[in-house]
Parts: sequence; structure tokens; C-alpha cells
Amino acid sequence: MRRGALIAGAAVAALALVTFPVWTSEWESSRYATTVLRDMLVLAILALSLDLLVGSAGLPSLGHAAFFGAGAYAAAVTMARLGSDELLVGLGAAIVASALLSLVIGLFAVRAAGIFFLMLTLAFAQMVFAVAFQATELTGGSNGLPGVRRPRLLGLDFNAPDALFELVATTFVVVVLLLWRIRTSAYGLALVGVRENERRMRALGYDATRLKLSAFVLAGAIAGVAGALSGWSLRFVSTNDVGIGRSIEAFVSVLIGGTATLLGPAIGAVVVLYVERVLPSSIPFAETVLGLLFIAFVVAARQGIVGVARAAYARARPAPARAS
Amino acid sequence: MNGTPLLTTHDLRREFGGVKALDGVSLSVAAGERRAIIGPNGAGKTTLFNILTGELDPTSGSVALAGEDVTRRAPHELARRGVARMYQRNELFEPLAAAENVLLAVGAARGPYRPFTSPQPADRAAARELLARVGIAERADVAARSLSHGERRQLELALALAQRPRLLLLDEPTAGMSPAETARITSLIAALDRSLTVVIVEHDMDVVFRLADRISVLHEGRVLADGTPAEVRGDRTVNEVYLGKVVA
Amino acid sequence: MTVEVAIQQALNGISFGALLFILAAGLSLIFGMMDVINLAHGAFYMLGAYIALAAVQRTGNFWLALVLAPLLVGALGLVIEPLLLRRLRGRHLDQVLLTIGISLVIVDLVGLVAGREIRSIPFPEGLDRSVPIIGGDYPVYRLFVIAFGILLAALFAFIHRRSRLGALIRAGVDDAPMLAALGVDIDRVFATTFAAGAALAAIAGVIAAPVFGVFPGMDVDALIYSLIVVVVGGLGTLSGAIAGGALVGPADTFGKVLFPQFALALIFAIVAFVLLLRPTGLLGRVRIAR
Repeated sequence: MRRGALIAGAAVAALALVTFPVWTSEWESSRYATTVLRDMLVLAILALSLDLLVGSAGLPSLGHAAFFGAGAYAAAVTMARLGSDELLVGLGAAIVASALLSLVIGLFAVRAAGIFFLMLTLAFAQMVFAVAFQATELTGGSNGLPGVRRPRLLGLDFNAPDALFELVATTFVVVVLLLWRIRTSAYGLALVGVRENERRMRALGYDATRLKLSAFVLAGAIAGVAGALSGWSLRFVSTNDVGIGRSIEAFVSVLIGGTATLLGPAIGAVVVLYVERVLPSSIPFAETVLGLLFIAFVVAARQGIVGVARAAYARARPAPARAS
Repeated sequence: MNGTPLLTTHDLRREFGGVKALDGVSLSVAAGERRAIIGPNGAGKTTLFNILTGELDPTSGSVALAGEDVTRRAPHELARRGVARMYQRNELFEPLAAAENVLLAVGAARGPYRPFTSPQPADRAAARELLARVGIAERADVAARSLSHGERRQLELALALAQRPRLLLLDEPTAGMSPAETARITSLIAALDRSLTVVIVEHDMDVVFRLADRISVLHEGRVLADGTPAEVRGDRTVNEVYLGKVVA
Repeated sequence: MTVEVAIQQALNGISFGALLFILAAGLSLIFGMMDVINLAHGAFYMLGAYIALAAVQRTGNFWLALVLAPLLVGALGLVIEPLLLRRLRGRHLDQVLLTIGISLVIVDLVGLVAGREIRSIPFPEGLDRSVPIIGGDYPVYRLFVIAFGILLAALFAFIHRRSRLGALIRAGVDDAPMLAALGVDIDRVFATTFAAGAALAAIAGVIAAPVFGVFPGMDVDALIYSLIVVVVGGLGTLSGAIAGGALVGPADTFGKVLFPQFALALIFAIVAFVLLLRPTGLLGRVRIAR
């Protein structure tokens, strides 16, 4: 019965999230809150996709923004060039572009492990950044692409801020469900196996390289979706979306929230964006705070907020020793 | 035990920067046979196993499995062809429960690209069955890293068996075990079906003489002697080099 | 391209290469000894440049800045290692992540204190002229950079081969735990190494400042270039840093002149391929990566 309660609770939470603008419309800073929450959810989707690599497969990628940016540019450019407002066109372009890019990069990157993998992903992402910077007629170079049009789906128009929020929030819920399904599947278990003991996985008959590559592409595709949403939200795509700062933002979110957990990365994204967006109105050194927070977690709370919460919960009610 | 041997190696050589780990090893193991490989440390036993499981390529020579040349195949390809290994130093999935460890092994045959289906109930049942078979059924939900050394060895064996191999490579299965644990594992191995071919590297001579149909003695990368336990026991060179002239 | 221009660009390339060597040496040292990729390297470089800026503004003395900046940044490194990195001893990936956090803090604080405009340091007196070289006048300062790089490399080579410190470093590069077992104070060695690496980054920042300027975002540029040099030339070795600088400096310079559109992407492609074929770089040693 606990399971039923859990599902019901999750459904209520999801509904509350998606209808956030509606039930907060009386708040004084409703518009602002909706915008910030929207951006938190976009970063959350990116962070969740990154955790498929970091948490599930054990691949620490510092170049994940490359796929986020690819999705953002692809959606914006395709819709502009085709003169289409169709949501599916934009999403489709984003997914295809980011999946292809992650396939190409992944073919090289997954041959490495640990710190070398980290450096490779960093190098490749910087390459993508350089290309985005140079290809001015396509990407607008350092000026970026302003005036990105928001999409439509059949009858629905996502131009209004509330409607766009609902699109972002719904996508977030879908992504969470998707990743939950993946994590509990045989495939998800295999990814964990690759993370914990790649040698043994190969000896058991798994093609570990292919497993890693598939996770890389899947993560890249989801990042691309987040990128498209970002472009529509901000009505703007720039090289910032593809730069090392964005990759670090995502990684910091994953770590602070808790890697290898379902909602940890999302919680981390909320914290990160709170520090980056809300805090600066009170203090000028928000990035410093973020850096210190990150350091604190790496040193003292490596399992992140979710991990710390779980440990506290376990201590509060002693139970027989069970596997994680 | 007739027809093509299950495993043959032909003049296997492997060098590591000038050091000859294997200096021409030719073996032939019949299907269903229990072959023990003994020899002093540094004789090349682990190198041989690493080549047989595809983790290492030989400098020259070849390996054939049921007649098929598998010399440079990758580990996962060899596993798919029915080669399973019990590592000398456990290769487990430490934070996962024992049952999940075996589940991964059982699920390998299905192919892992099922992102939306949970592990099959049949697989879960098979995993529990295997745990029972090696004697750690009641520890199914304990994390691998929390198991005792003996239990970890048992789990390690379960992983290898879960692959339903036709060639089982056991790398010092009784290493670090108490006499009781050694006896149990030895019985387990002795009870394995003859459809399974077993090659075992061991230092414990009691275990070797109990289990082996034939013994190959490795020394400085070469096969010193190859025969039945009685033949090997009586072989003068073997006695001088390895058994220490203890056995008459 | 005429011969004169080619020679000028060649000198530019060598000068840039020398700077890259100075920049990468610190990163290579830290990786070689501690197996840590210090992603705060760019931040230390930036900090050194900004300290020099403040020093020059106050005293007008470039040479003072050249001494002061590495001292201060080195001291910072001496504090950071025992305070933070040491707690993560053995967890190499986490140490790398830690340096990201350090970088965030340093870069933000520098930006807050010093503002966000692009600034620069004037060439020091005596080095602000040009001398005639085949094909025209060439800035003396860039020749100074080359000379400084060579001097530094010679100094390192000497320390590496002749002194007890050098023996220590060579031993540490091969087997740090063994060193500890032999009674060497590993804590002190690591702290000093990290401080030295940070100081070297700062020196590079000071030397680069008159040429490249001082501005927000310079940390990222420096980090990327030092990673490129260290990866291409060889992780963890002195000769690797030299080889990397010697290769990347001219390649980048000529690349920007000949095909500016693709120069950047080309450099990174080189990085990726070297990493794939020889993960330890052209002249690096075999390291076990975690």
C-alpha cells in the first residue's frame, strides 16, 4: 500500500508542478517565480540527462553542454529556416542534432575512462564551442540568435509565459518518468554494472563499449531537448549554451543534488539556479557562494543532498543491513 | 570424450617488454574434462587465463574453441561463446546485492538493450537458484562488499556458473579459504555436470588430485608435463622443479 | 606569405610556445606528482595577472610584480592543498572536481574586486622597444618571453637531474605511496608541489599580461591552452610541456594566420586524436588513470 501512496503523491506533485502558474497567479512575484522555476526545470532536465552518464554509467562528462547547445541551435535554426512553428519540428531537429553529435563524439570519448574521459569530453565540447563561435551565419557567432520563436502544437500556442511554462514542466515530468523507467530496467542495471566493474561486465558477455555509447547518445538527446526548451524560454540561443560554464553548471547540479538518484540532479538544479538568479539581488558574490557550496559538498557531502537525506533517514530508523 | 577437443592452444607465446610470460604453450582439453594447471608463481598461469578469456592477446600462437579460432576475440565475444571465468581476485559488483550480481550475469544472455523492461522474473528466479546452489541463498540481499571472504568466493563462482558456460575457467578458486570452505567449494566443482569442461588453476594439491582428470604443469612459460595425476606425480622433472621431491 | 612575414610569425609562434610552456609547466608538475588535473590552473593564472596589474599600478615596477604575484598565489596554493585537497587524498576524480569549485570562487572574487573591463600592463622599461630583425622590427618583449622560457626550462632540468628535490620529484612521479613508506613527508611534498604549480601559473599570467591583456574569461582561455599543451606534449613530464609548447605555439600562430576560421577547431582536433592514440601524450609516461 505504501507503493500506491507513493504513486499518488508523485502524481499530485507532478500536477501541482505543471499548474504552478495557475495556483500562484495571486502572488505578487508570480511572473518572476514562474520564470525562475521554468529555468530551474530546464537546467534540471539537463542535469538529469548528465546523471545518466555520471551516476548510472560512471562517466564523468564535463562537455555535456555541447549537446544542450546543439539542440538549442538546431531547434531555433530549423524552425526559422523552414518557417515552421511546429513543436515537433523543433523538438525533432533538436533530438536529431544532439543525438548525432553525441554519437560522433561518443565514438571517441567512450574509449577513455575516468579523468581521461573527462578531458576528452572537455576538449570535444570546446571544439563545438569554437565551431559555434566561428559559424556566424548559422549560429550568429558571439552575438547569438535573438528572436527565437516559440512553438505551437496543433491547437496549442506556447507563446504566452504560462503556456510555455506548462510545456517545460510537462517535459520535465516526462523526462523524470523516462529516466525512472530506464534506471529500474535491465538496461539501467547493466549501466550500473559497467560503472561498478567494467571488466566483469565484459567477462559476462556484455559489450561494455556499446553500452556506454548508447547511454552517451541517450543522455545527449535528452540534453538536446533541454536545449530546445532553453532557446524557446529565453527566445535566445548563444554560445553560452554550448560553453564550459553551462557544462559546469550541470555538473555542479548533479553533484550537489546527489548523483545516481532519481531526483537529486533536479534538486541540485534548483539550488544552483537559486544561487545564480535569486541570490544576486541580495549579494554580489553569488558565483563565489556557488563555488564554496560545491567545494563543501565535494569534501563533506559527496553523496549530495539526497544522499545526506537518505543517510539521516536511515540513522533515524534502524533497519537490518540491506544492500543499497 | 571424443571428437574435437573443446579447447586447444597452439604454441602460445606472450612477451611483456622482453619478459617471456608464455614461451610456447600448447594444450588440448577434451570436452567434459577436468584439467588442472599447476606451477610455481610466475609460471604464466594467469597470463594464460587472460589470453583464454580475451583480455590479452598473445604475441604469437593461437587459441581454438571447439575448432573455431578465437585467438584475438574480445572478452565479451568469448563469453558469448561459452567461456566463463572465476577470477582469482574477486571481480564483483561491490555495492550491489548478491542477487543483483548474479542477475547481471544471468541477464547477459538476453542482451541488455531493453531500457523499458524490468529484469525478467525468470531471470530473478534463476539468480536465486544459483545462489542456493553455491550455498549463499540466505545472503541474497546483502551487498557484495558486506559478505565474508568465503561467501564472496561463492558469489564469484555463482557469477561464472550463471553464464551457463561450456568452458569454465577457475582461477585459484580456494584461495584464502578455510578448510571447511575449501571442502564445500571442491564438492561443488566435483558435482558439476560433465557437459561443462573445467580448467582449474590451483596451488592446493589436495584439491587438484581430487578434481583433475589430467594435469598440466607450467614452468617458466612452458608446459613441463602433461598427463594423468599418477603420471604427473611420478614425473621426475616435475618432482624436482615443483612438487619438491615430496611425493614418491 | 613573404619571407619577412614568415619569420615574424615564426618568432611569434616560438614566443607563444615559450609562454605556453611556462603556463603548462605548473599543470604538468601537479599532475605528474599528484595525479590531479588542476582545473583551477587558469584561475591561478588570472589571479597572478591581476595581482601584477595592481602591483604595477601602485609601484610602476613590473619586476616587483613578477616576484610578488607567484609568491602570493603560491602561498594561496600552500593553504588550499592541506585545507581541502588533502581530505580527498586518493580520490583523484573528486580532487579534480574540487579544483573546479576553487576556480569558481577565485574567478568570481577577482571579477568583483577588479571589475570587468579589459585592462593591460605596459611593457616594462627597457623591454618596450623593438629591434631590427630580418624583415623588420620585432618587439624585444617577445624575445624576452622566449629567453625566460628557455631559462625556466633549464632551471627545471637542473633541479630535476641534480638536486635532491629533483630526485624526490622523479620518485614521486613514479610511486608516491612508496615515498611515503620510505619516510618522506608526503604531505609537505604535495603541498609544496601544488603551491609551486600555482606559482608557475601566476608567473605565466604576469608574463602574458603585457601581450594578451587582463580581462574576465582569461582563466578559461589559459586553462584550455594549458590542457592542450599538456595533453599533446605528454602528461606529467617536463619534456612533455616543452614538446607541447613547441608544437602548439607555432601551430596556433600559423593556424590563425593561414586559416583563421578553423584554427581553433583544428587545434582541438589534434588534442582529441592525440588523446585517443596515445592517452599519455607524445612524450608522456604511462599513468594509470582512475
